[in-house]
Amino acid sequence: MVDKKIVKNVKNIIDGLAMHQNPESVNVLEDIGTNSKVDEIREMTAKALVQKNIPESLRVVITNKGKGINDMSTGVAMCTINELLSLEDKTEAIRILEDTVENNSDEEVRDNARSIKALMALS
Amino acid sequence: MADLLSISSIRERIFNPTKHEKSVARSSNPFAQTSFKGNVLTADVFVSENKTKNEVQNNGISFTGKLKASALVGSIAGIGDKIKAGIESVAAFANRIKDNVVNCWNKLNNTEITFEPAKQAISRAGERVSDAIHSMFEPGISKNQIAKMEDLSVPRQLLMDNVQAWEASLG
Repeated sequence: MVDKKIVKNVKNIIDGLAMHQNPESVNVLEDIGTNSKVDEIREMTAKALVQKNIPESLRVVITNKGKGINDMSTGVAMCTINELLSLEDKTEAIRILEDTVENNSDEEVRDNARSIKALMALS
Repeated sequence: MADLLSISSIRERIFNPTKHEKSVARSSNPFAQTSFKGNVLTADVFVSENKTKNEVQNNGISFTGKLKASALVGSIAGIGDKIKAGIESVAAFANRIKDNVVNCWNKLNNTEITFEPAKQAISRAGERVSDAIHSMFEPGISKNQIAKMEDLSVPRQLLMDNVQAWEASLG
């Protein structure tokens, strides 16, 4: 059973990095958060990266296999998709999704990006 | 044989004179043959309607009226006793319940909780409340502090430490 204090700390650090203006914060989140073996940490990190809504952060959760919308955990993937659909300004996300559908080398990543793009067009 | 039958029937009449009496003429009881299983009442307790009318017309007072009145008075006198008895039984019941409740309360006051799981559950609940209050006032890592940090090596280290602690707790 994980200590509540640790959960609170992780959440606050990830939220703080989501608010951080320095683009380097994306690297911190990607290096530590998206590579964690804990689903909840990956979920928090993916949400924070989407909320930043900058090309660097969106690329992490859209174009990388095993991260964000391509995560092995359905819960993490669904949570990332939900966060993308909740974005007020979807312009950048749609642009990256189109780029992924056209240029990504992995077929599964392309298929996922195509599906999310269709969903975002409908929402 | 016929003589024997007649003797036995005579004897039965002597010892049980009412059984075979079908005195319809002497009685106005319409249920005489059915209600009393052959034992017909010899007294005419059912007053004929015509007779009653005649009596009322002649004397103005009827005997049956007196009987009814006395029966009614007797029953009214008995009601008081019944009510009193009822109230006494309710009071006794209430007193018994009160005694039981008081005894139970006294037992509870003198009983020490020795049920171990209950004690543990209470203890755990107390610890949880204590932890929640403690964490509420404990100065933890604030997201605003992290967002304002210029040097990102600090939040990187903090995140790494806490993520490792989380992963370690899961085993």
